[in-house]
Amino acid sequence: MVWLTGLSLVVAMSMIIGLLAIVFLNGVVTFWPRQLDLVEMTGGDSLLGVAVREEAYSASPGKRIEIESRVASGELPADVMTEDGRLVRRLYMVGNKEVLPQPFRWVDIADIASIEHPVDATLYERMAWGAWIGKPEAVLLVQQKRVPVQGEGEGPALEGTTQTRWGERRFERDQLEFAPDEDGTVLVRERVFAAEGTGEARRLFNELHPEAAKRRAVIEHIKKHDIGRVNLGLEQARLRQREAELRRDDIIVRERARLDRALEAHERGRLSEARLAAARERFDRRRAELDAAVEAAQAERERTDALLDAEYKEILVEIATIEEYDDQYRVLIRDVTTGNFAPLAQTRPDEPLRISQVVRAITGNDLTFGQRVGVYFSRWWEFVSEDPREANTEGGVFPVIFGTVMMTILLSIAVVPLGVIAALYLREYAKQGAVTSVVRIAVNNLAGVPSIVYGVFGLGFFCYTVGRYIDAGPTNPWSPGMWFIGLGGTVVVVVGAILSQMFSKPVPGKALKLRHKLLGWSTFALWFGSVALVVTLVATTPFFKGFFRAGLPTATFGTKGILWSSLTLALLTLPVVIVATEEAISAVPRSLREASFGCGASKWQTIRRIVLPRAAPGIMTGMILAMARGAGEVAPLMLVGAVKLAPELPFEPHFPFFHLERSFMHLGFHIYDLGFQSPDSEAARPFVWTTTLLLILIVALLNLTAIAFRARLRRRFVSGAF
Amino acid sequence: MTSSASATGPTRSTIGAAARGSDRAHTVDSMNESGGFTVIEAIRNGQPFKPAVHESLAQESPIVSVRDFSLYYSDVKALFNIDMGVPRGKVTALIGPSGCGKSTLLRSINRLNDLIAGVRVEGDIFIDENPVYAPNVDVIELRKRMGMVFQKSNPFPMSIFENVVYALRIDGERRRGVLEEACEKALRGAAIWDEVKDRLSESGLSLSGGQQQRLCIARAIAADPEVLLMDEPCSALDPIATLRIEELIGEISQKYTVLIVTHNMQQAARVSDYTAFMYLGRLVEYGRTSDIFQTPTLPETEQYVTGRFG
Repeated sequence: MVWLTGLSLVVAMSMIIGLLAIVFLNGVVTFWPRQLDLVEMTGGDSLLGVAVREEAYSASPGKRIEIESRVASGELPADVMTEDGRLVRRLYMVGNKEVLPQPFRWVDIADIASIEHPVDATLYERMAWGAWIGKPEAVLLVQQKRVPVQGEGEGPALEGTTQTRWGERRFERDQLEFAPDEDGTVLVRERVFAAEGTGEARRLFNELHPEAAKRRAVIEHIKKHDIGRVNLGLEQARLRQREAELRRDDIIVRERARLDRALEAHERGRLSEARLAAARERFDRRRAELDAAVEAAQAERERTDALLDAEYKEILVEIATIEEYDDQYRVLIRDVTTGNFAPLAQTRPDEPLRISQVVRAITGNDLTFGQRVGVYFSRWWEFVSEDPREANTEGGVFPVIFGTVMMTILLSIAVVPLGVIAALYLREYAKQGAVTSVVRIAVNNLAGVPSIVYGVFGLGFFCYTVGRYIDAGPTNPWSPGMWFIGLGGTVVVVVGAILSQMFSKPVPGKALKLRHKLLGWSTFALWFGSVALVVTLVATTPFFKGFFRAGLPTATFGTKGILWSSLTLALLTLPVVIVATEEAISAVPRSLREASFGCGASKWQTIRRIVLPRAAPGIMTGMILAMARGAGEVAPLMLVGAVKLAPELPFEPHFPFFHLERSFMHLGFHIYDLGFQSPDSEAARPFVWTTTLLLILIVALLNLTAIAFRARLRRRFVSGAF
Repeated sequence: MTSSASATGPTRSTIGAAARGSDRAHTVDSMNESGGFTVIEAIRNGQPFKPAVHESLAQESPIVSVRDFSLYYSDVKALFNIDMGVPRGKVTALIGPSGCGKSTLLRSINRLNDLIAGVRVEGDIFIDENPVYAPNVDVIELRKRMGMVFQKSNPFPMSIFENVVYALRIDGERRRGVLEEACEKALRGAAIWDEVKDRLSESGLSLSGGQQQRLCIARAIAADPEVLLMDEPCSALDPIATLRIEELIGEISQKYTVLIVTHNMQQAARVSDYTAFMYLGRLVEYGRTSDIFQTPTLPETEQYVTGRFG
């Protein structure tokens, strides 16, 4: 038996450790800067790239036979084939999406004539279009300027040298105008070769790059914040106007009904002509007032729009100014296969790349170990602190981490109080019997419901029912009269429930009578009815029109959001918390409760001062399990909140701080998205590993925090036991 | 609780049961032909009998009076028409074989049995003429008038200081000075002050078993109760710790009325002024400890206290 038990433990452990090790190793090596290979192939082809991995594959019979014979003749080394006759090929990341047919390329080992590691090869990580691998040739200063023509009927000097801050440098010009204006100048596009040759170009690039990156950051910041602010202002002005219109419509409907009643009364002869006229006049006056209010709102909106438009134009000018300056600094990097240089954009192959478009330049082949470590950590830092780029396959995952952590915290805030209170009732207050057993079994079974079911429920209930209610108010409101009758009925039922509860309490020490039993059941039924009635009343109130109806048909809360995700997952993890809490509560020794009661404590005092503190570590265990389960759950989130790319975080550093209605990014969903939904699965692959590693680390970190907290509690409450 | 209920209460000068039992008359002759145990025979056969309550009790004024008190656990009757008074300012021991209802009786006095579902009582208990089982009794207030010490020491999982002042805390007392004073007084009263005065903020669970039990006694007397109920307070302790607790009971009895349940005959003889012998839910004999141990009325009692049965 000991062998069997030991064996199963070993199997289980090795599977878990194996999984973790694979994730860990793959995740850890991803960001290490690797060598750039210049591969010359026997066909005369060549490529410059980074080796990704190797695999054996079954080639066509013809090729296989040819290579087999070349191996047999000793022309090729034996390791180009596996022993079972399959060819070995290697995947190279070659980048340069604008000019190469594929950013990744398979190469048969047999076809490789030579591999070199040229020191001038450099990998440029760019803001867009992925990596560019090539040889830097020059740093250029590009600008348009007016230059004098060299003489009557002649153009300007198209080549020459000029004084720059780096000394005398060569320039080239393209003539853009051919007719000189009155002071004898024409417009040209000038390219000054500020640095030429790989070494010089690299040196100057490194000098200019920090400044350029700062300019890029400034432009991004302006685009995101200033333009965002303008758009927000425009949107709010629109909403205010819409709000005024909706309010007018509401009141007009009410007033018209009033007028109709007056008309009807008049027809039946119960209302004098004069009073009907008064009613008419009142209606007209109200309508005029409301129309005026709407017009005022409209005027206000137009004024705001004008102001914001002006501001928007100023911002655009600011951006243009920075961009114009930024546009001067270019770098010329040539692709070794095609001879093209890295373009400004795919549509502008004649213009070299801006320095500011480069995120990081990695000279893969002449880095020292220390520099490699530096690049490695700078890549990790970018990964955890930046927004994603290029369909999530580049950049970072900061919003993803943020969304995951925030959702997990919200989830525990929701689930712990609810679960603990429910467990307290179940264990401390409810009479133990058939009903509590059924409830307990039901709760345990909830844990076994597939999580996607929770997702569907969350979407239907939270997003489409509760969320829509918050946005637009009740869909079928009752008439006010009807609603007040309902309110009265509810009050009666609630009072009945309270009375029934008061009289259903048996006197301790006296026998339980049938009356108590009946009253107990009626209490239960009445409370149940009260809850149902209150919910109905809230759902049908005619006095609530929704908080966000001006924004409709764009839903605010009535769609995917982090709040609904957290609540759905709270529901999913509720059984875990209830079961753990119940166990913790029932493990509190009876003697402690008795001692507390013996000191004259009431039930609630005993629970609060003795039971809950003593059960706290167990409750924490429940919370840890809930967090671990919730943080790693993906399926329900796909329905109720997680998205591929959320433009805004659910938290902002200014009022009202939390935007719980926003959808968010989640690590688990991100892994799925990268792995299976990415347009470029090969490029996304390394990120799958790092994201998985990160998710595991974050869940472990959250758990460790909770465990450390629990350990402190335990030390405090249960020290030096017998 | 009001004293208006005293119409049904016992007279002040005597202990009701003692008054009626003072003629030492027994319904069944205690020495009959079957070799001695007539009372036990009667109990086993469910026949009525009168407990032997000594005359000496008539001189004492009772603080707790149990009157015709019966208790049922659901359908099982655990206490049968108990009639007894606990003398004020004295130590009274409850002895008897396991399952005879000693602890049940003790817990009935502060209504700790309410916590058990299905418990039902008949008759009543009076504390200073205030009924314990009247419908309008505030159980919380009632329990505050009594301290209780349990079989196994059960300090709360909090500091020594908080343990002692627990009763005051739940009463809403927040003044640090009052709490500290009460804490010191109670710890001195429980003869543990010198051992713990420098570590009041440590967990109550860090103490040794005997110290924990004395801490529990301190907790029980912190709120100045009228009666101290002790449910086999030494049964989980070693002999030296037991000795200390017994000495402590002697000291405490100068201030409080103590009702102690014990399995240990010697202990009852050492610490108590009065002893009640119970058997199968009935009170059998009740009198001065010296009388019960040296000159009991009933042969059963003699047999039991000398260890020949039970």
